[in-house]
Amino acid sequence: MKQWIGPAALALIAAAGGYYGGLALSTYGLMEAAIRRVASDTGMNAMRYGALPTPENQPVVRPSPDLAYSSCPYDLSKGPVLISVTPAPSRYSSLSVFDARTDVVFVRNDAQANGKPFQIAVARRGQKVPEGVETVRVDYDRGIALVRLLLKTPSDIKDLDGVRRQSTCKQI
Amino acid sequence: MKTGYRYGLGLILGLGLGAGAAWHATGKGFADGDVRNGVWSTSLNYGTNSTDPLTRAAVARRGLLALPKTETVYWAATRDSSGAPLDGSCTYRMTGKALDSRWWSVTVYDKAGYLVANKANIWSFSGASLTPAEQSGWQLTIGPNKPESGHWLPSVAGQGFELTLRMYNPGAAFMKDPSAAELPRLVKEACA
Repeated sequence: MKQWIGPAALALIAAAGGYYGGLALSTYGLMEAAIRRVASDTGMNAMRYGALPTPENQPVVRPSPDLAYSSCPYDLSKGPVLISVTPAPSRYSSLSVFDARTDVVFVRNDAQANGKPFQIAVARRGQKVPEGVETVRVDYDRGIALVRLLLKTPSDIKDLDGVRRQSTCKQI
Repeated sequence: MKTGYRYGLGLILGLGLGAGAAWHATGKGFADGDVRNGVWSTSLNYGTNSTDPLTRAAVARRGLLALPKTETVYWAATRDSSGAPLDGSCTYRMTGKALDSRWWSVTVYDKAGYLVANKANIWSFSGASLTPAEQSGWQLTIGPNKPESGHWLPSVAGQGFELTLRMYNPGAAFMKDPSAAELPRLVKEACA
């Protein structure tokens, strides 16, 4: 029996490693999978103006059918990214920036922006950004910036698609 | 058994058990929040750098790209008021008042967190659907068949489902004590 004490102790340590490794793998792995899925047609550092969520169109789990999503999968390995957002008049919209760990590193809605267009640069620490541009510093190269726009009915998108396409994303 | 084999077995078993426990623990996603209110549960720690690793992984698996509480509170319901799992073959009555938030909606998902096809192409019910008179009290039927009158959110017969209640820009009064807020009630009426 004594000969199993060492292996049992190793199993306990490995179980702890497997548990926390599994949590990390779920978090970073699922985020990276989402980045690749969103970037599959428009590429990185470009805004993808997604079709409304339906059973046939769900790039990410638990989408809201009441929102039009525009997403920018970003990669800062070659430089910062500039995100420009134009809110639609008199309705909820927001920009949120998620890092590779799924944390929200920046969020601003239309009311906080006083309904006016705004720009932010997303950059790693030490990367140079244009003077005067509000800058969000992040700890990872990759993530997703997401613009949510509320639709009262799905047909609203006909009137709002033009304004949502004024929100853009590009490498500086 | 040789010593090396015993250690190898311990390593593989331990890793497998640990990874399996992580997968099991993250499976409930939004439905395992620490704040409870009637049939609903949530956590107020989604999406922040102070989120614990388990919550972060659970949200990544079942609600990726969720916003922090200042922007949105996400409530989940997987059971009715009697504690039974939500069943797409049953009809439920949801009642409530306009919620203390800039905008709110209730959405039906399958148990994996995805929208499911239905003939009406309706997946959510929002505060924008309410008439002025309904602000102080509204009623919604959730079930596979369209009711003769009133609001309807379709479920799919034969499939279990989950509900997500989103409250965008929740009010200060609500945020003082979300567990005591008046949220929609959900009662099962009948099953096919």
